[in-house]
Amino acid sequence: MEAASAALHGHDAAEHHGPPEAHRSSRVEPQLLGMLLFIISEIMVFGAFFTAYFFIRVVDANPWPAVGTELPKLIAGFNTAILLSSSITLHWALESVKRGNRTGLKAGMLATFLLGATFLFVQINEYVHIGFAPSNSAQASVFFGLTGLHGAHVFIGLVLLAMVTVRAFRGHYSAEEHRGVEVPGIYWHFVDVMWVIVYSSVYLL
Amino acid sequence: MRRHPIIQMVIIGAIASAIGIALGLWINWFPADAAKQAAPIDTLYDVLMIVSVPIFVGVVTVILYSVWAFRMRPGQELQDGAPIHGNTRLEVVWTAIPAIILVSLSSYAYTVLRDIEKVHRNELVVKVTGEQFAWTYTYPQAGGKPISSTQLYLPEDRPVRFDIRSKDVIHDFWVPAFRMKIDAVPGITTHVRVTPTVRGTYQVVCAELCGLGHATMRSTAYVVTPTAFRAWLAKQGQPPAPANAGAGKPLGKADLAALGKTTFTGDAGCASCHTLADAGSTGTTGPDLDTVLKGKDDAFIRTSIVDPNAVIAKGYSANLMPQSFGQSLSKQQLDGLVAYLATVSK
Amino acid sequence: MTAKLRGPGWYRAALFAVLGLAFAWVLVGVVRTAMHFDNTWDDGTAITTVALIAVPLFILVGLGCFDYWFYWAAGRPTRPEDHSSHGATSWRSYFRVNTDHKVIGIQYVCTSVFFLFVGGLIAMLMRAELAQPGMQFVDTATFNGLFSVHAALLIFLFVIPVFAGLANFVIPLMIGAPDMAFPRLNALSFWMLPLAGTMMLSSFLAPGGAFATGWTAYAPLSTDVPLGQLFFTVGVQLAGASSIATALNFLVTIITMRAPGMSFFRMPLLVWANFSTSLLVVIATPFIAASQFFVLLDRALGFQFFDAFVGAGRDGSVLMYQHVFWFYSHPAVYIMMLPGFGIISEVLSVKARKPIFGYRMMAFSLIAIVVLGFTVWAHHMFVSGMQSWVRIPMMITTAIIAVPTGIKIFSWLATLWRGVLHVDTPMLFGLGFLATFTLGGISGVMLAMIPFDIHVSDTYFIVAHIHYVLFGGSLFTIFAGIYYWFPKMTGRMYDERLGKLHFWATFIFFNLTFGPMHVIGIQGMPRRVADYADQFAAMNLAITIASFLLGLSMLVFLYNMVASWRGGPRAAANPWRAMTLEWQVSSPPPIFNFDNVPTVVGGPYEYGVPGAVHGIFQSPTEAVPAGAGASGPTSE
Ligand code: HEA
Ligand code: HEA
Ligand code: HEC
Ligand code: CUA
Ligand SMILES: [Cu+2]
Repeated sequence: MEAASAALHGHDAAEHHGPPEAHRSSRVEPQLLGMLLFIISEIMVFGAFFTAYFFIRVVDANPWPAVGTELPKLIAGFNTAILLSSSITLHWALESVKRGNRTGLKAGMLATFLLGATFLFVQINEYVHIGFAPSNSAQASVFFGLTGLHGAHVFIGLVLLAMVTVRAFRGHYSAEEHRGVEVPGIYWHFVDVMWVIVYSSVYLL
Repeated sequence: MRRHPIIQMVIIGAIASAIGIALGLWINWFPADAAKQAAPIDTLYDVLMIVSVPIFVGVVTVILYSVWAFRMRPGQELQDGAPIHGNTRLEVVWTAIPAIILVSLSSYAYTVLRDIEKVHRNELVVKVTGEQFAWTYTYPQAGGKPISSTQLYLPEDRPVRFDIRSKDVIHDFWVPAFRMKIDAVPGITTHVRVTPTVRGTYQVVCAELCGLGHATMRSTAYVVTPTAFRAWLAKQGQPPAPANAGAGKPLGKADLAALGKTTFTGDAGCASCHTLADAGSTGTTGPDLDTVLKGKDDAFIRTSIVDPNAVIAKGYSANLMPQSFGQSLSKQQLDGLVAYLATVSK
Repeated sequence: MTAKLRGPGWYRAALFAVLGLAFAWVLVGVVRTAMHFDNTWDDGTAITTVALIAVPLFILVGLGCFDYWFYWAAGRPTRPEDHSSHGATSWRSYFRVNTDHKVIGIQYVCTSVFFLFVGGLIAMLMRAELAQPGMQFVDTATFNGLFSVHAALLIFLFVIPVFAGLANFVIPLMIGAPDMAFPRLNALSFWMLPLAGTMMLSSFLAPGGAFATGWTAYAPLSTDVPLGQLFFTVGVQLAGASSIATALNFLVTIITMRAPGMSFFRMPLLVWANFSTSLLVVIATPFIAASQFFVLLDRALGFQFFDAFVGAGRDGSVLMYQHVFWFYSHPAVYIMMLPGFGIISEVLSVKARKPIFGYRMMAFSLIAIVVLGFTVWAHHMFVSGMQSWVRIPMMITTAIIAVPTGIKIFSWLATLWRGVLHVDTPMLFGLGFLATFTLGGISGVMLAMIPFDIHVSDTYFIVAHIHYVLFGGSLFTIFAGIYYWFPKMTGRMYDERLGKLHFWATFIFFNLTFGPMHVIGIQGMPRRVADYADQFAAMNLAITIASFLLGLSMLVFLYNMVASWRGGPRAAANPWRAMTLEWQVSSPPPIFNFDNVPTVVGGPYEYGVPGAVHGIFQSPTEAVPAGAGASGPTSE
């Protein structure tokens, strides 16, 4: 989280009597690189949770899902569609600002945020009605663990999106200066891709 | 000028290594050697010694020699050393040689592993159960009900397979004299194979941190002659357990005490934690009952069993002794234990 | 007063700490009411759990770690950077949130050295208890707490951060950068540490005592011991987040902010070392975070990751914890060693007045260790009852990892050869390191040999290995580094005589303390025991005495540092006649490091090469960027 927002602010140029401008020894944007590295460690967090999944489902050969429980493939499927479409709207927002189209930016960001929020809402609703608790079985723990971890990331992503949206409406960003949209965008796309993996391994397989 | 010092050094190093190896082999590192598995492991260790000492000594010799030969002398304050940047041949050598050494060591270790974990026919199966903080050993009997004890008796020269389980957290079943150890893991059964070869009394140690009593979670392994072993099994086997037998009629004091003794040494597992001369138990997790129970009345003993935390024996901490005996033991067994302890600790 | 409370700083931090507590209490209360639980408002465990997570964050906010980002996030005009939070004006500056990498570096080093002494003191208590069999000073619960806190502090609050601290100070200077890439993130990652450390220490106050499951916190023990465990579970999260953030910062800094002309193969090996270490951190640390998440979820929300007795009786996977834990914690041991390798490379080549031998192989072996480091974790699980075939590949990779390490050791030896050795304190620790670490490494290779490990696993042989690599390895390099950069950091010289005394005392008593542990280990003394069989009494008494003397020798170091910092003679800009860039600026360096970024025209270790230059200090325009960019190394 810190890393994310840090990657967003970078270190600002306009500095009087400040240090000499650092030499740029790489074509990569520091903020971009920071976000990519942060995403790598995020992937590893999920990796660890998938290790739990692997041991409890594969190594110990437990039934999946636990006997007497079932997972709402269909609703989750719709939810997946919602989340993926939010990636598209986000992309649209970025493209618009690149072309200097502010209304496109605002509309895109708003849509993305709302879609993301919907996803989270549906997910929580699913928890309420799923009919088993983490304490019922190790399989349940893994299910709530993985989806919950992802849910937390959606939440973080939403916070970032909220910031960007607010600033978009406050008239920030322009065709030249839109890194503030791009970098959180990467994070959001990562969250979406990660969901596809979670969905297919937890619900479908 | 360049060769000369190196030769010197090699000689010094060789001598030092020789001494080091001699020392390493001379020191008596290992505990008593009481199983077939011990010898190969000890040999492996000697080999490792013989390989490592020269490496270590070599490194140290070079350091000391350099300090002696190349240290800055007065007047050299501003001088620099020879601008040597590298030497590919040398680097290849000291990459290849360790690699070869290590691969061969690993292969040797692998063969040793195969050797010590070999599966034998007519293995004696002993089920080991770890719980906080005691070991229980169960000997499945063809047909009859399995015999369980808090002491580990093993026949000499008979391959044994231990099936190890845990009731609560991870423990680790280890008999240093046998060299072999394996964790007792909740949820799975682990195995370790040992062939005791030398008669004697050895310590069983819990080697995995398992809570407050970890340090004292020890018990004793007796390696005896096959005949003695069969005798012991037989003795354990005959059930004087009036626990269920005399359910109705009250027992006489003597029977009670007898029942108490079997409960104490048997499945209740008291013996695994308590030393008690009469029961021949040597547990160290709990206090030595011969001493602490001197002049204590029955009531005290009873509460100490059903509610151990009521009084905490000096030098021990609470929650070490299971608080479940009130439920797990039958009324009669309890009376038995109290009667027994009261009599023997008089 | 209100102004004080509104502005960032300690007052506001205190206020926010209280708010954090209140928040935790309310949150728990509300949730429990919502779920119709009983004892809604007074569930101590639940409140503590939430508070442990909430309060540190609130304090960080109070200190002002996030102020800038809050403005930014709200889209309000961020304060134009006036560097009010940059550079140290007085000792007070070190107790405020500061974005200067030099200040942060010193904050790091001092904080972690503090925890070295705390952790060491705890070790002294342990040794006192172990002086003779039976229980003397503490009960078993406390003892288990002692070695757990000892290890947790020394690993997560000393070795890992102290390296980050030294690198924080040195690396931007070495690569000719004005600061780290993300100065505020840098400050944030520092301030998480004192909180993590305080949390772990305060676990002694928790009902039921400190966390007592070792630094490995194996489940299911860690899921059913008293509350104190949570202070570890959460504390590690903080420390971990901190080191991930720092690592990310280093990587970005090293990749994007090198001076013109500093190609990767012109970087000093310390930079290489921290580069590879940061890779390890970014990839591995999330795993320990996750492992502790599991424990937290099991404890707080009744998850069943590790409960092998629910349902079918084999649902939870106990071994899973160990796999996840060691997948971090083996790389962690290299996280705790590679930066030390970097320091040694600097010290040896400067003190031997010679180019480092085989620069490229030194760099490559680092990368090799990073890669191999991820393939060996299960050598900690040879006796854990996992699938037995896994042990074989792990044994081989573990053995092979000695090869790149060996390359380094031998190259250092060759660096000494035909040099002009200045055998002063940093050099002494460097040489001492070569000896002790080789021994520790070799005992490691022995442990890699499964049959031998089956016997000595979880015995004092392991404890000996741990300390030979962590104390004789990491700590010796840390001492070397602290003495080596002391003039640069403080602008003063340390007392050479005390330094030498410190080395010899440490070196001798270190070996007397931990050498014998090999023997009692093989003879069968298990680790993590408060009480032991009488046969080990004599040895343990000797070890205890030696360890006390070792402790006293640490006091020499402490005195030397404090006294020299306050009253030592002023240090020249470049007392060691070193080539790397940090020595080309004044001691201590100017607030913005360089007036204008230097240009690198040659390798960093060209000692004895006539007329060799590493960096030149005209502005890049005037300078001739000799094959700037990714030109071949001049160090070959
Ligand atoms: C700085 C930290 C550090 C470092 C660098 C190492 C380095 C190594 N460690 Fe160690 N290790 C620990 C810290 C470290 N370790 C800790 C803390 C534990 C205990 C964890 C716990 O349970 O609490 C542990 C435990 C541990 C175990 C588990 C033991 C057990 O619990 O049963 C093993 C087993 O393989 C092992 C092996 C190794 C090996 C092979 C290396 C190698 O990297 C060493 C390589 C170096 C050399 C070999 C020396 C120089 C090389 C040469 C001179 C070349 C020639 C040498 C040969 C041909 C042999 N270590
Ligand atoms: C960098 C890491 C590091 C360092 C520096 C040390 C330093 C020391 N360690 Fe430890 N240690 C570990 C990492 C480290 N350790 C780890 C990872 C474990 C495994 C834990 C586990 O099993 O989970 C361990 C475990 C461990 C054990 C085994 C506990 C057990 O298994 O039961 C012991 C036992 O002797 C021990 C002792 C010491 C001693 C005497 C020192 C000494 O070197 C300390 C010297 C420093 C000081 C003494 C402080 C400075 C001096 C003062 C503050 C003045 C006061 C001095 C006096 C009163 C004399 N350590
Ligand atoms: C897991 C180890 C363990 C087992 C099993 C165990 N005890 Fe104990 N026992 C202890 C410890 C530790 C103490 C000391 C702490 C205390 O007083 O609670 C103790 C205390 C006692 C005391 C009181 C001594 C005193 O002076 O306070 C008695 C009597 C006793 N045990 C009897 C038994 C009997 C009978 C059994 C079997 C039914 C038994 N114990 C099983 C560990 C054990
Ligand atoms: Cu059982 Cu340690
Ligand atoms: Cu390891």
